[in-house]
Amino acid sequence: MNIVTWLNLVDLLVCLVVIISAIGAAVHRNLLAATVFAGVVSLAISFLFLRLAAPDVAMTEAAIGAGLSTVIFLIAVRRTEEVEGKDQ
Amino acid sequence: MANLLLELALAIGAAGTLLAVVRLVKGPRAASRAVALDVLTLITMPMMAAYGLYAGRQIYLDVALVYGILSFLGVTALARYADRGV
Amino acid sequence: MKQIISIIAIVTIGFVLWQLVPIAMPSGFGAVTHHYVADGLKDNGGSNLVTSIVVNYRGFDTLGEVTVLFLSVSGAAFVLRRRSGLEVQEPVPASEIVQTGARMLFAPIVVFGAYIFVHGHLTPGGGFQGGAVIASGVLLLLLANRDRALPHGLLSWVESLSGFGFVLAGLAGLIVAGSFLANKGVLPLGQWNRLVSAGVIPIIYILIGLKVGSELSVLLDVMVHAAGDEEAN
Repeated sequence: MNIVTWLNLVDLLVCLVVIISAIGAAVHRNLLAATVFAGVVSLAISFLFLRLAAPDVAMTEAAIGAGLSTVIFLIAVRRTEEVEGKDQ
Repeated sequence: MANLLLELALAIGAAGTLLAVVRLVKGPRAASRAVALDVLTLITMPMMAAYGLYAGRQIYLDVALVYGILSFLGVTALARYADRGV
Repeated sequence: MKQIISIIAIVTIGFVLWQLVPIAMPSGFGAVTHHYVADGLKDNGGSNLVTSIVVNYRGFDTLGEVTVLFLSVSGAAFVLRRRSGLEVQEPVPASEIVQTGARMLFAPIVVFGAYIFVHGHLTPGGGFQGGAVIASGVLLLLLANRDRALPHGLLSWVESLSGFGFVLAGLAGLIVAGSFLANKGVLPLGQWNRLVSAGVIPIIYILIGLKVGSELSVLLDVMVHAAGDEEAN
């Protein structure tokens, strides 16, 4: 049995955040909420990359997921709700 | 001792992220989800810096810097979406 | 009923992958990987092993990735171009805080992005990350004022010349040192951990950073001004 430190608890909690947010992004009806959930997934995954000693990948995920990805999804949702009608 | 204190700080931060996710899931309005996202980035950035101190590597601070500078863009975009400005 | 089937499918696939991964993944890495890890820093002179693999050992793949990014942005800009007869709604103007903040914060964000891709061979980061940060700065300007006119001519020139410069750097490696995108003979390797070092790697990363930044800025501008299709339904 390996030594279990407090950092393993941190890993477990952040993985729980990833799972809950991913299920929320896939299941939720409101598209705005789903976009926010996707942003949270990106944030938690970036921390896990840092924990796995990959700072380059963590910085890429941070640079793209913090601003660009969320905003592109929001613009797409806004432009298509004029076609489909709101909340569909 | 210092390592143990840093580990405890990281664990408390992770518990804080879980509470913010509770608000993210429950929040009836769009503004509550925006606030929850902001709180999540606000907790995660010092967690990254504290982990950099724990692991003894200076390069982990750059990732925290990227989040620190860019995290408000997501929240601002959500706010502009909510008042029909995007 | 459909949801139960999809949940069963996801659990089954997850279980199968979990059982197969210890068999399918090799227990040790190949000889090429050991060579990269052992000689990567010595061969290239930088402090960042990931950069030396991405730009030097696998530089041709990076050229392919830059091409794919260019193609995807061109395709998106073509599909979302402004057509006559389709109007975008007038946006609500942003508040005073957002406008002032955008004007004040644009310069530090661009400087930060430039710091990331100029120091690509020393600290984590590089061309793609720095370009994404610069595009986020332009996004902040567009959020504050939706109808701000970006200099499209300048962005097109920067993007094209940067891509062209990347291929020229590769050809310079071919002429001087004998293989495409070679690093050793073209520019001196310099001292370790200094800004001007590691041969041609900083130049390539500066070009990639400028190219990705201008491309993503054009993509954001096209998306913000795209009109929803009102007639096609």
